[in-house]
Amino acid sequence: MLPRYAFTIAGRVCRQLLRDRRTMALIVVVPIVVMTLIGLSFPEGIVLDRIAPALLATMALFFSFLLTGISFLRERSQGTMERLMASSVSRLDVVLGYLLGFFIFALTQTLIILLFTIYVLDVNYNGDLWQIFVFQIVIIAGAVNLGIFISTFARNEFQMVQFIPLILFPQVFLCGVIWPVEQMPEYLQWIGRFLPLKYGVDGLRDIMLSGMSLIDVWFELLVLVGFTVATSVLATLTLRRGVGG
Amino acid sequence: MVTSDSKQVAVDINEVTFRYGNIRALDALSLEIPAGISFGLLGPNGAGKTTLIRLLVGLLKPKHGSVRVLGEVPSRRVAYRIGYMPQLHSLYTELSVQQNVDFFAKINRLSGGAERARRVEETIRLVDLWPRRNDSVVKLSGGMRQRVSLACAIVHNPPLLLLDEPTVGLDPELRVTFWEHFANLNEQGVTIIVSSHTMDDAAHCDHLAFMRDGRVIAQGGPEELRSDTGQTTLEDAFLYYVRSGERNAA
Repeated sequence: MLPRYAFTIAGRVCRQLLRDRRTMALIVVVPIVVMTLIGLSFPEGIVLDRIAPALLATMALFFSFLLTGISFLRERSQGTMERLMASSVSRLDVVLGYLLGFFIFALTQTLIILLFTIYVLDVNYNGDLWQIFVFQIVIIAGAVNLGIFISTFARNEFQMVQFIPLILFPQVFLCGVIWPVEQMPEYLQWIGRFLPLKYGVDGLRDIMLSGMSLIDVWFELLVLVGFTVATSVLATLTLRRGVGG
Repeated sequence: MVTSDSKQVAVDINEVTFRYGNIRALDALSLEIPAGISFGLLGPNGAGKTTLIRLLVGLLKPKHGSVRVLGEVPSRRVAYRIGYMPQLHSLYTELSVQQNVDFFAKINRLSGGAERARRVEETIRLVDLWPRRNDSVVKLSGGMRQRVSLACAIVHNPPLLLLDEPTVGLDPELRVTFWEHFANLNEQGVTIIVSSHTMDDAAHCDHLAFMRDGRVIAQGGPEELRSDTGQTTLEDAFLYYVRSGERNAA
């Protein structure tokens, strides 16, 4: 059961994405374009400073989920997943391999967004930059696993696209990204407590606006790590060796 | 290449039934395939050939009956001794020919850098793609992709090859080349199970099973099937069994 081929699979995922130059260009350009538009729509710096933590958490979750979910589904629709599952690799090999492979690109994308936000959009923050980045790494790990997990329920790209608003919009509206959670009805606040983005937004706000450290946001970190482990287990369990039936 | 005793049984399928919902894809099917031969699963689309191959490779589990491949129930433990070529090309199109073949060598337990590199080169040369080894698969023609797919299935020297419609879409010249590869592998003791719906392929096999509606309606050598039915072509022999089956059912 030891993941003997996880690094082999991760290496293959990396080589595959690196050879796809258009995708590589889009991974870099798209977040910059999106963040530029957001930056231009908030000419008053102080407003951008306040919403930056929620934006960074949302972008990390959104882009990582999107990259992984679509790529993983493509493996299945092209038949490469079937071939992989017919070999000696275990389900844990596959999930860890893809997690590692996609994680590197999701991390790169998140780092671009973070540096662009801080140095180009000139957002002010209080905490340490490295602590902000480490916190985002935990958000990405969960989002990558979520992408793998959700894509096992989609049979084609159209179905996967339908999952995107289903997964992301409730989190954006219920996790304090747009308006404070406290102003929502109690039952919506209760639902929000089960969504990972709430803890991503709360943790990044505490670090970036209040200057807290990673130790201070241990609870948010713990929830996000728990979410990552849970989605890993679920992705491993739902990944079928079989191809139907 | 791994050799196997021709008296041994490579595949043993016993009363296997498999359903996709209400559709019965395999119906109490039994087959025993000796090691070291080329065995053709012949039948029209929907006969159950792909389902049977997926059962042999462990991607599907039988609802009833049992399957043993190389003496074991299909699973990850036996998978590295099987070369599987699915119906789709199932290749990483952004990767080069060499990267694809090397990846499948690695995940099929072909370890050791130099030995693996030698075997990967040997296999790519075998399918006559060495000059194109650095090209992305996306740049290759359909026939070339079929050859890469075959290379990925045989790179780790498996004693059993399961090839699902490997000659579909190939031009006649390439089809002959493929059968030459299969004959060479057979000579080295590899058991080859090929599914096909074209009777051109059938003539190349040592033994055939005609399939229809999830059942084996007849089996034997190509010549035996022709002479038993008094037909001159395998296509006519197949139709003879289909019609006699329909008459018996009526």
